[in-house]
Amino acid sequence: MNTKGFDFNNDRAIAREFLKDFADVNGQAKYLLILQDVANHKTRSVEIDLEDLINYKDLDEEFLSRVTENTRRYIGIFADAIDELMPEPTETFVDDDHDILMTQRSDEGTEGADGSDPHQKMPPEIRRFFEVYIKASSKGRPFTIREVKASNIGQLVRIAGIVTRCSDVKPLMQVAVYTCEDCGFEIYQEVTARVFMPLFECPSKRCVMNKSKGNVILQLRASKFLRFQEAKIQELAEHVPKGHIPRTMTVHLRGELTRKVSPGDVVELSGIFLPIPYVGFRAMRAGLVADTYLEAMSVTHFKKKYEEYELIGDEEEQIKRLAEDGDIYDKLARSLAPEIFGHEDIKKALLLLLVGAPHRTLKDGMKIRGDLHICLMGDPGVAKSQLLKHIINVAPRGVYTTGKGSSGVGLTAAVQKDPVTNEMVLEGGALVLSDMGICAIDEFDKMDESDRTSIHEVMEQQTVSIAKAGITTSLNARTAVLAAANPAWGRYDLRRTPAENINLPPALLSRFDLLWLILDRADMDNDLEMARHVVYVHQNKESPALGFTPLEPSLLRAYISTARRLSPTVPRELEEYIASAYSSIRQEEAKSTTPHSYTTIRTLLSILRISAALARLRFSETVAQSDVDEALRLMQMSKFSLYSDDRQRSGLDAISDIYSILRDEAARSSRMDVNYRDALNWISRKGYSEAQLKECLEEYAALNVWQIHPQTFDIKFIDA
Amino acid sequence: MVGPQYDLLANPLGAVRSTFDAAIATGSDPTSLNNRDWGVIDLFRNLLSDQSHLSQVPLLTPATVRYVKPYTLVRFRGMIQDMLGNEFYVGAFKDGSVWRTNKFTDFCQHSIPVGCSADTPIWERRLLYCVPVPGLNSWAEPSAEAVGNPSMDWTSEQREKRRRGDEESPSNMPVEGDEVEGSPNTKRMREGECTSPASQSHGAVPEIAGSSMSLLPGLNGNSSSCIVKVYDTPESELKLNDIFEFVGILTSDPELQEDNEDSDLSNGFGEDPLHHFPADKVPRLHCFIHRKLSVQDFLQNKPIIEPKPDLVKGIRESLLRHLSAVLGNDEVAAHFMLLHLLSKVEARVDALAVGKFSVNFTCFSKETASIGKQLNHAVKNLVPFTHCMPLTVQYLNTASLAPKKNYDTNRLETGVLQLAEGSHLIVDETQLKAGTLNSVGVENARLLKNVMELQKVEYDFKYYKMEMATDVQLLVLSEGKSNILPADVIVPIRPSATICLEAVAAEALEAWRWYLATVRQLPHSFESETQQVVESDLVAAIQADRSLNTQDLSRLVTMGRLMCLSFGETTLSLEHWQMTKELERLRRERLN
Repeated sequence: MNTKGFDFNNDRAIAREFLKDFADVNGQAKYLLILQDVANHKTRSVEIDLEDLINYKDLDEEFLSRVTENTRRYIGIFADAIDELMPEPTETFVDDDHDILMTQRSDEGTEGADGSDPHQKMPPEIRRFFEVYIKASSKGRPFTIREVKASNIGQLVRIAGIVTRCSDVKPLMQVAVYTCEDCGFEIYQEVTARVFMPLFECPSKRCVMNKSKGNVILQLRASKFLRFQEAKIQELAEHVPKGHIPRTMTVHLRGELTRKVSPGDVVELSGIFLPIPYVGFRAMRAGLVADTYLEAMSVTHFKKKYEEYELIGDEEEQIKRLAEDGDIYDKLARSLAPEIFGHEDIKKALLLLLVGAPHRTLKDGMKIRGDLHICLMGDPGVAKSQLLKHIINVAPRGVYTTGKGSSGVGLTAAVQKDPVTNEMVLEGGALVLSDMGICAIDEFDKMDESDRTSIHEVMEQQTVSIAKAGITTSLNARTAVLAAANPAWGRYDLRRTPAENINLPPALLSRFDLLWLILDRADMDNDLEMARHVVYVHQNKESPALGFTPLEPSLLRAYISTARRLSPTVPRELEEYIASAYSSIRQEEAKSTTPHSYTTIRTLLSILRISAALARLRFSETVAQSDVDEALRLMQMSKFSLYSDDRQRSGLDAISDIYSILRDEAARSSRMDVNYRDALNWISRKGYSEAQLKECLEEYAALNVWQIHPQTFDIKFIDA
Repeated sequence: MVGPQYDLLANPLGAVRSTFDAAIATGSDPTSLNNRDWGVIDLFRNLLSDQSHLSQVPLLTPATVRYVKPYTLVRFRGMIQDMLGNEFYVGAFKDGSVWRTNKFTDFCQHSIPVGCSADTPIWERRLLYCVPVPGLNSWAEPSAEAVGNPSMDWTSEQREKRRRGDEESPSNMPVEGDEVEGSPNTKRMREGECTSPASQSHGAVPEIAGSSMSLLPGLNGNSSSCIVKVYDTPESELKLNDIFEFVGILTSDPELQEDNEDSDLSNGFGEDPLHHFPADKVPRLHCFIHRKLSVQDFLQNKPIIEPKPDLVKGIRESLLRHLSAVLGNDEVAAHFMLLHLLSKVEARVDALAVGKFSVNFTCFSKETASIGKQLNHAVKNLVPFTHCMPLTVQYLNTASLAPKKNYDTNRLETGVLQLAEGSHLIVDETQLKAGTLNSVGVENARLLKNVMELQKVEYDFKYYKMEMATDVQLLVLSEGKSNILPADVIVPIRPSATICLEAVAAEALEAWRWYLATVRQLPHSFESETQQVVESDLVAAIQADRSLNTQDLSRLVTMGRLMCLSFGETTLSLEHWQMTKELERLRRERLN
């Protein structure tokens, strides 16, 4: 034992040197600063980060391993070292009871000369105003509860889990102080377990010698108490192997660490894995079976937002390599739901939904949302739901729900009576819960009427307002909505117009940035592909190889979170380009006799949003013209998926199309004359060439629709 | 290998001790023996590899639990219902200068030196809560001789004891009995370490007798559960809902009744996971050997025969005749029933469970209600684990279908859908009337739908839900097509004759059970020619009916595979594919 004691003295010296000499990246003596704060009663906790110990210049590897293997002992050693180092307070602070008691004690200390009595020596704990915590290194993956084995007992471990139960915070006696009625001495008793046997007789020398059996009285005010809370943590769902049940572990939180967790929190804890000393009748078994618990040393809450996503390991490296790869857009899109065949453009759109655009707040406080909303509409059995579920898995924060939602709260929010306290409480629905994330709503068309009205607000203002049962409030719902809906008659009816098939009001439809129709069309190749797939699956009990290796969802998440940190802006020179693109879409709609789409100013915002998301994917701070073109292409494709029949009809005859463009443009400005240069501008925006324009001019001039100026080629319509 | 100096069956702990001593003697460091076996397992494995030895080990059932002596070798068959986590115990300790081990026991016969942790290494073992397989049919329960042959003398001794116990304490309080009988026994065990096996058990028998007797009024399914303590086994071997046979030491320590007053101090928090399983109700088994059981292990008098084609064909014909008789001479339905009974989840590809084949028999009316009953009866006779769920609005609104974690007791509360692999579940929708579902009902309906479509059950862990894969054959009986439970195929039944069921011969039943259990396990493959034909047929099917989706195609292929299995063959032949298509055609005709 003696040699061990020497060791510890030695280690105390090491600990003291470390605390004194350690300098952080800024060259400041981190721990001395903390100690000064402690001396000034500004803080109570001294957290020793093992990371610092590793970075310490005079690192003693053995000392480090001793600290991790026998942490509890070393907390005491560090506390002793801190006692030695504790500086004088530099600021004045109000004396509390504790300090007054302490000054009294130190005055008396000289009198109580029989210091050999352990019960009369003041234990260092009672003098300390601080608590020491040793925090495990945050490098590497934390343990799952399952991985903590018997061999870890006594060691510092880092564990990730979800809090399932929490007890109330209670005082835990650390040092019990008694006064003796006979001799008047203060008697100290250190309490290390949760249960202790109080003293009944004064153990001081004087009383023992006098055989007076002095009556001792417990002094509650003089004793030292610690806040104490017990919690249970459970393994996270993703850490549980298939076919197993999540494990649980008891956690003890003391002092400053209490009230840091509540049930449902996902936390990362570092702490000491210890056996519980049994008491009472159970002690009979104590030798045989031991309960264990984790003495918490630090509590970190897991963040589930993109903005706070931390890159682990070599992810940064991988992302960099991916970003340099030119084909990142396609590659990422293909890695979404790789098992779902085809649908490249839809996957691209979904990728952009994950990335989103930056939110903007205007000077007058108006907010413009950055989240993209997408609606997938299609026949049953075209893997809509699977796409939705996959997106939710990739997103760090996502809620999957159906329009008919099972709980009474529904999609938005509801005021409900708490069954325990009978108070009215506001309970958030799926949209509120997915704030700063993605909300996937399946069966969008089957939504309750009440939800349907409030979803209008969510999709544009991104809040949920509620005025029920005396509660008037507005909850944030900054969420990207991904909806899936079935056509009005279950299957898409090609004989009817798209508007009839889509079973949603225009006000709602216009809020979606992209609306996609997935039709199950008769196609021999597709059918054969499907048949092959089915047979292959049955034969080989696995999916056929994909022909490419999809990126891991974790890497995908990391990439997207990195991309989301940027907020690209639109350069001035692109403004004109976007404006003209928007006006031409409006034109097209106006000329059409049966407008399918409802192009509003929202469409313009959509273009901007999609372009910004594309720029984010390129890790660029400015939107490029190629981004806008791709955004327009996606919007066009999404429309074509709806109105492909029109595309075929109009696509056949370029000449008549050019004619209608010119006529519409002229009619809009109610002129009979059209400048050739204007005409060329209009039609080139639609992708036609000058040769086609010339052909058109000649053809229609022959029909006496217009006259062409022989030199300037200016057009003059002949009024019929 | 050392010959069994000990009676391994009656005193397995002796073997544990002697092998441990031998390991120490050969210079092993006792602290390094953690998570390692020192030869005990091999000893028992060698012994029990012989079927005759294995059958001598008594099987723990509600009937036998009274007679089996503690600290002897027993067998237990059950499903892992819950996992209680790890238990840490002092694995080895120094008694004076001698190392002793606590492995495979709950109770220490020596006082353990307190203090120096180097001499008391802490080891761990896993606790599994096992229950009898849910829905086990009476014919699949082990017969009397399989339970193990209890020797007459101690049975009679037992009875005598019990009578005496009755006279002594008429109130028959369990605690009293335990105190009276238990303490001298343990004292004796503490005094002399070399208690002879006989005297040890002699002293211990009355305890367990006393406790089981006191339990008799409340004796129910709960009492036949068992906590199995598993050592040194990779976690992946033992999974939830698996059926296992465990061989190990039965321990029972009524003296260690949970001291409840303690929990006030500990806030009900740091409690022992075993708190809710008093030792007198749930026996503990320290497992040496475990073996995963398949359906075949539940057959009595296993006829050891190769699945020869002609033999299989004969059994198939007779089973089909039986099934069609049950279904009112409906041959088509009988065929589907046969395929259904042969189905199992082969693999999980993406979200799909390949190989499942749930059937929905429709057109049940009042007149044909008896068919449902007979079908239920017939299935019970053919498959070892069966359930019947009468679906009513009330049932949906109140039943707890999914297992749910109770954080107050730290237990997984079982639900109806916590079923062993290969269970059969009949959902009888014929009694369903119009009504309103509450939130529980909606949730339950969703759960049932999930089981039907994905063969997955969501276990409710309050803070998150965990999907557990299951393999359950689902049969739905309804008047019209069931919309709550979308089965793979819908077969309207057309019972023709009034049903006159002749009694089924026992041999025939056994042959059928063997057939179903064996054929189901056969491997399966495609030949490239058939594959081509199947592919082109599927394409033709889609072209003919655009409403077919991947699931429908998958189901067709499954049918073909099951059809060929039903003949005991492992490759799909064209002939069987044609039969499948014909069957499908007949079914479609009925639908229109």
